[in-house]
Amino acid sequence: MDNPLITAALVVLTLLSLAASGLALRRLFARSSGRIATRAEQLLITACSLGLLAVFLYRKIQMGPGWQPLEAHVDGLVLIGLLFGVVILFLQQRPRLGGLDAFGLPLLTVILAWSVCASAWTYRAFDLNTLHPVWMAVHLAGVYMGTLSSAVAAIAGGTFLYVQHRLRSKQNIADTGRLANLESLESLIIRTATIGFALLTLGLLAGLVIQTGGGAASRLGPGWWHSPKVLLAVLAWAVYAVVMNVRFGSAFRGARAAWLSIFGLVLLLATYGVVTALPNARDDARPTRAPSSETPR
Amino acid sequence: MKIIMLGVNHRTAPVGLREQLTITGERMAAALTRLRAAHPASELVILSTCNRTEVYLARPAHEPPTAEQLTDFLSGYCGADRAALAASVILRENEQAVAHLFRVCAGLDSMVLGESQIVGQVKRAYEQAQNSETVGPVLHKVFQQAIAVSKEARSKTGIDTGRVSVGSVAVDFAQRIFERFDDKTVVGIGAGDMAKLTLRHLASLRPAKLWVTNRTPQRAQSLIERLKLPATSAGVRPFEALDELLVEADIVLTSTGSQKPIITAERFKPLLRKRRFRPLFIIDIAVPRDVDPRVGGLNNVYLYNIDDLQGVVAANVNQRSEQVRECEAILFEEVRSCYAEVQNRDVGRLIKALRQRLHDLGRLEHERTARKMSAAAPDEMPAILEEHTNRLINKILHLPLSQLDQSSPEAPLGFYAAALRRLFDLKEESRPGPPVDGEKVAPPVEPDTPPAPTTGTAATPERSRS
Repeated sequence: MDNPLITAALVVLTLLSLAASGLALRRLFARSSGRIATRAEQLLITACSLGLLAVFLYRKIQMGPGWQPLEAHVDGLVLIGLLFGVVILFLQQRPRLGGLDAFGLPLLTVILAWSVCASAWTYRAFDLNTLHPVWMAVHLAGVYMGTLSSAVAAIAGGTFLYVQHRLRSKQNIADTGRLANLESLESLIIRTATIGFALLTLGLLAGLVIQTGGGAASRLGPGWWHSPKVLLAVLAWAVYAVVMNVRFGSAFRGARAAWLSIFGLVLLLATYGVVTALPNARDDARPTRAPSSETPR
Repeated sequence: MKIIMLGVNHRTAPVGLREQLTITGERMAAALTRLRAAHPASELVILSTCNRTEVYLARPAHEPPTAEQLTDFLSGYCGADRAALAASVILRENEQAVAHLFRVCAGLDSMVLGESQIVGQVKRAYEQAQNSETVGPVLHKVFQQAIAVSKEARSKTGIDTGRVSVGSVAVDFAQRIFERFDDKTVVGIGAGDMAKLTLRHLASLRPAKLWVTNRTPQRAQSLIERLKLPATSAGVRPFEALDELLVEADIVLTSTGSQKPIITAERFKPLLRKRRFRPLFIIDIAVPRDVDPRVGGLNNVYLYNIDDLQGVVAANVNQRSEQVRECEAILFEEVRSCYAEVQNRDVGRLIKALRQRLHDLGRLEHERTARKMSAAAPDEMPAILEEHTNRLINKILHLPLSQLDQSSPEAPLGFYAAALRRLFDLKEESRPGPPVDGEKVAPPVEPDTPPAPTTGTAATPERSRS
């Protein structure tokens, strides 16, 4: 990316998130309520979220009036990071959903570390001007918001497995403080998977329209429907289709739903990895601009 | 009197062994009777709960049964493996045995620290022993004081507040599994006291339905009435409908007296699909266990038996160490006082019996001597009096001195020697050292032997001084 300031800011925010993760995990595994540590963790998450908001706004100011949200992959990651930070702060306040922050913050750290990579080394701006802007906005919003929802489902899944492990190992649960109960976690997994499924469906449909709309030839080539990006995305979509239905008497209840929610997120992240790593798999990116030509952005 | 406690508990023996050693109902009376018949001088109480089987015994110091004999009895009576029992058994003697009972009664040795159910169980064990007439003055005192002190310790330290029962710990677990209970069904299988206490805790969660089933429906109905739950949310279901209940249930509490598991994996697996794989929390507080452990490995089933709860309690013990210390301090003083009183009473009874025996001896000799004197000439009087004195001394000393020949590891010769020196204030003017092999220190004196010379024979007190 052309702006080292943004990369530096993202590195600092990643470190803040890492510190908050350390505090949350320490609280979880040391099984102490640690009121001071909780406050420090909240401050760090708040600082991280505000920093991400500042980065997002800075991008707008830097790009001027022509800037569009989600103009590049790094914008999407920063937006997801920002919203995810807010979600974690919200979950922290929920009395019956304790422990989710300990699983959410490491994921936030991964997203931010990825954004550092996307900013410093694999920066690619979306070729928005050549696509139908409405469908593109729907596609990106659906995919990113769906991913955010799926991330929440995955951290609920991780927390579910942890709580279940504690219960199955017959350990004392009196010292787990506000650790969420299994029923709440399963409910959260199903709800967020359902929202994620709906948003991903929207994003995939919009992507389908972009691919095939207006009689234009596929931007992924003639075999686009079996490209890694499309296959992984459809697979992730199918996983969430299963997860959101587990409450209706499925054998996928409980730990299996938790594992599926994690697997779904891994598939989504793999899809983004494929998109980032294989430029040919992208239908919406233009080649990396030379530093000189990128300077205005 | 020597006080002995021998047994196993949840800390020393696995649930399988404890199941074998459980003695309840008629078997308890039979066990007490059989042990008493074998050792008539002993006082006995057997405390048998799901967490422990302990024999409390008070007997004269040097009489059977020994710890090995008690272990043999438990092993034989309950059909438990002797080696496994010997490896798990704990033995406490005298003041330590008293201290153990006090700790048990105060709930300090319980699986759930400070739980009060154990007091009722101790009371019942004591009453059963009274009914079998195996309790004497020593165990009367010890058990009565243990029960009284446990109440005092609880009220002073608050050790019974918070999670101090199986029920409240079960509620903790339930709240980690379920978010709400107004749409849940609780099923109680069994209608005993433990079931009642635990169901009372579970009922405090206000479940949508609470069913109780039991082989004897009347007992289940009685339990429901004692729980004082509205008829709309609680009721009795026939034991034959157990499968149906297992499909409906979200929380199952089992506490039956069944000798074999009533919920096996084979029985429960087909029900999983009918349950639509809903989570099921099973609390199995029965010993022997009612639920096959393999059921706990099934998807969305959370099974806790009585031993599982022990791990939870161990952590609670740490958190409540301050209360434990206070409680221990109270018990320490009370145990010392109780044991001292028991010993004092025992010595009092001994002195009374000793006096009685000596008076009996004296009376017999007095009558004999009086008869002789009535027919004797005046010049024979000194000889008759000397004979009277010697015979009396010999008769008094015969039994104690004969015991010196029967020293045992429990009461070695040195013990008697020290006791004699102390009791008769014998000076150390001529201590010969320990007896050599084959030397008899004090051969017994036959009570009816002719009067011995005042010096120079083995039977005289002077000889015994050396």
